[in-house]
Amino acid sequence: MFNKTKLQNGVHLYIRKTEQFKTVNVTIKWKAPLDQKKASERAVLANVMEDSTKQYPTVGSMRKALDELYGTVLFTDVSKRSSQHMVSLYTECVNDEFFAGEDIFKQLWQLIRSVVFDPNVSNKAFDPDVTEREKRNVRDRIRSIYDDKTRFAQKRMLEIMRPDHPASISAYGTETAVSEITNESLYATYEDMMNNDLIDIYVVGDIDENDIIKQIKQFLPFAARDAVKQNELPDVKVSDSVNTVREKQDMKQGKLHLGFHTPVSFHHPDYHKMQVTNGVFGGFAHSKLFMNVREKESMAYYANSAFASHYGIVYVTAGIDADLEEKAVKLILEQLTALQNGESTEVELSQTVALLENSILSANDSARSQIEIFDQYKELDENFSAERLIEKWESVTLEDVKEMAKTIQLEIVYLLSGKEDVSE
Amino acid sequence: MKEVNFDQLQEKIYTETLDNGLKVVILPKRGFSKTFVTFTTKYGSIDRTFKPHGKDELITVPDGIAHFLEHKMFEKEDGDVFQKFSLNGASANAYTTFGRTAYLFSATNKLKENTKILLDFVQQPYFTKQTVDKEKGIIAQEITMYDDQPDWRLYFGTIENLYENHPVKIDIAGTVESIQDITAEHLYTCYETFYHPSNMLLFIVGAVKPEEMMEFIKEDQAKKSFDKPEAIERQFPTESTEVDVSERTLTMDVSKPKLNIGMKCNKVDLQGQEMLEAELSANLVLDSLFGRTSAFYEKANAEGLVDESFSYEFTMEEGYGFAMVGSDTDEPERLEKLIRHTIKDAKSNWPVLEEDLNRMRRKKIGQFMRSLNSIEFIANQYTRYEFNEMNLFDVVPTLEKLSMDKLKEAFAMFSDDNSYTIFKVMPPKTQ
Repeated sequence: MFNKTKLQNGVHLYIRKTEQFKTVNVTIKWKAPLDQKKASERAVLANVMEDSTKQYPTVGSMRKALDELYGTVLFTDVSKRSSQHMVSLYTECVNDEFFAGEDIFKQLWQLIRSVVFDPNVSNKAFDPDVTEREKRNVRDRIRSIYDDKTRFAQKRMLEIMRPDHPASISAYGTETAVSEITNESLYATYEDMMNNDLIDIYVVGDIDENDIIKQIKQFLPFAARDAVKQNELPDVKVSDSVNTVREKQDMKQGKLHLGFHTPVSFHHPDYHKMQVTNGVFGGFAHSKLFMNVREKESMAYYANSAFASHYGIVYVTAGIDADLEEKAVKLILEQLTALQNGESTEVELSQTVALLENSILSANDSARSQIEIFDQYKELDENFSAERLIEKWESVTLEDVKEMAKTIQLEIVYLLSGKEDVSE
Repeated sequence: MKEVNFDQLQEKIYTETLDNGLKVVILPKRGFSKTFVTFTTKYGSIDRTFKPHGKDELITVPDGIAHFLEHKMFEKEDGDVFQKFSLNGASANAYTTFGRTAYLFSATNKLKENTKILLDFVQQPYFTKQTVDKEKGIIAQEITMYDDQPDWRLYFGTIENLYENHPVKIDIAGTVESIQDITAEHLYTCYETFYHPSNMLLFIVGAVKPEEMMEFIKEDQAKKSFDKPEAIERQFPTESTEVDVSERTLTMDVSKPKLNIGMKCNKVDLQGQEMLEAELSANLVLDSLFGRTSAFYEKANAEGLVDESFSYEFTMEEGYGFAMVGSDTDEPERLEKLIRHTIKDAKSNWPVLEEDLNRMRRKKIGQFMRSLNSIEFIANQYTRYEFNEMNLFDVVPTLEKLSMDKLKEAFAMFSDDNSYTIFKVMPPKTQ
């Protein structure tokens, strides 16, 4: 697993030395409390940082430098987890061993330095053209969710279910918040991020650990910062009555999304039991939802459940003929009732545990997945390993599944479907 | 069993063609936890007119049948195959493309048991009227799901513009109407024609011991009986090099217009090394004309004509091929003009310099090395290359020697004026 080094207060390095890959991955994550307005600023900032630097002031010059380094990858992204917002810089270059006489890795550090510490800034403001362009890009990214009806329906369901709550806040913020960004506010956001965010740096590859620590101290001299106390998630009052919402657009399929509440979330001691329960319910192709909604009734191509563990939400999604909404809802809820009545089998349980194991062990085969999984689970356990989690899953019983299922409570039935006459 | 070393890439493959004609390729990967196995037939949505196994007359089957068959392979008399894979901790799936149908699983455990399940379920068909009819509802929902995806409609709409007769223009899953005509007999006919081991490839990559695995597969195959391999006779309609329709627009409920330019390839009979050179060259041409270091991109980006959805690609298979360039854009007319101008300009004034070629070559080599970290990439691509008589591991040496002339030849394949088509997805006009 990863070896941890504290570089400064609030700045940590995690290294995993492995000969498995032909490349080296370096990822930097900046973490701050999640806030709608800040999310927009940071989303645009991430784009602007990827675009150009002082040394490479245009997209073209920046990309040429990366291409010369054998197509080295460098991009930024934003995401959220619980009440935290993250800006991530992802880079990956081919191992030096494949190209005699080249010093790709060293040059990668210089590029990262240029992106992080020497952005395309003058007089404490980013280039106005770049800022405006990337504001437009982030705005369009927010808007384009509308074009993907499954994503749109999921977004709407969460907004109705958890208004103004981290569960429904987008990592890109809102169109309005994006439009209010100025060059100056963006630079202030950059300074805030550089000085106050928690920073985790990950390196995975066939590298020399001491050398990495030396390089990072030289090229990425982050200052110490106080550990930001993470925002607590606001309390949620769950109503006893079920909210039914139907919305219409020009489309053909009915997008049925059901939202459920559970008090068991990521930090709850029963978290691993709920992971298994969700798997039996609808996580896989052997699960109750797939076998009954799809295979038995032929009502859907997809019918799945997922566990948004950080927010204590279980949700079910299915693409159906909208006229069959009532039947589909009934069938989905029957599967949950079956779980609550203890009508699951040892076979379903062992299939689910086997596939959960397969997915976490498979994650070891991608450097990015290793980083993302460790980054999440280290909050529970600094010495996280897949084996420990697998042990926990294997100890889950049918009785546990029944008890977990009983905590799952339907809050909302949301259907997005077509208008009567679909214009083509 | 044959061993082939690729020293430069530090990879080694083990291959053998079994007595029944099945080609098996094994690639062990150092340090990997999982094994990824694909079992692929050279049979896809375009194979709709052919001589059935043992027959002399050509038949044409309903659209969407290869994909339908893929779905139906998973259901057996004793239940659903997913159930068996899950018990053994394997995550299974399948997909159908224009020219291939692949069945696959990945597992970190019980490799032999899972491989056995894969071989058995693909080699033992079971279709009844009841199971076939039951599937129609599921696939109808799958088709409807794709109907609502504007990017899929944009892609397919462009192909429909490009081709007049070739079945590449038919949606892989068929239509809700066409699948109603599919019967169990059709499925058996297609199965018997295209699922003979000699038309298939088994690829195993990841955590695997090659000798042991090859023995296991040979034993399994020796126990099963197959007819003698027969050459498969497919028929394709003739197709001109000109596009069928030069421009079409579809209205959908989208937030921003979508533009896609298609350019039809006039060379569609390449295979082997010639094909590899042509497709790598075409990719380099598109990179230099439209990539993020190009003059086109600088202008389109500065003027806000493209956004993060901007992309381009080149597709080449036996019988068809095309280049595509597209983006969501508020100004489809201006973007279209700029793309057209870029193509036209390159014909009279070749824009790629030797230093550009060298830089892009380095980029592509690096990209390829990086993709060898993905065992899914290796299995899927190796199979595709093999079916086109190319070798995936020739990519780097071929890139190293590509000359400017090859790029110019590749550009000439898709830059004719009459090979150019426009497809747009537009939001409804505001009232």
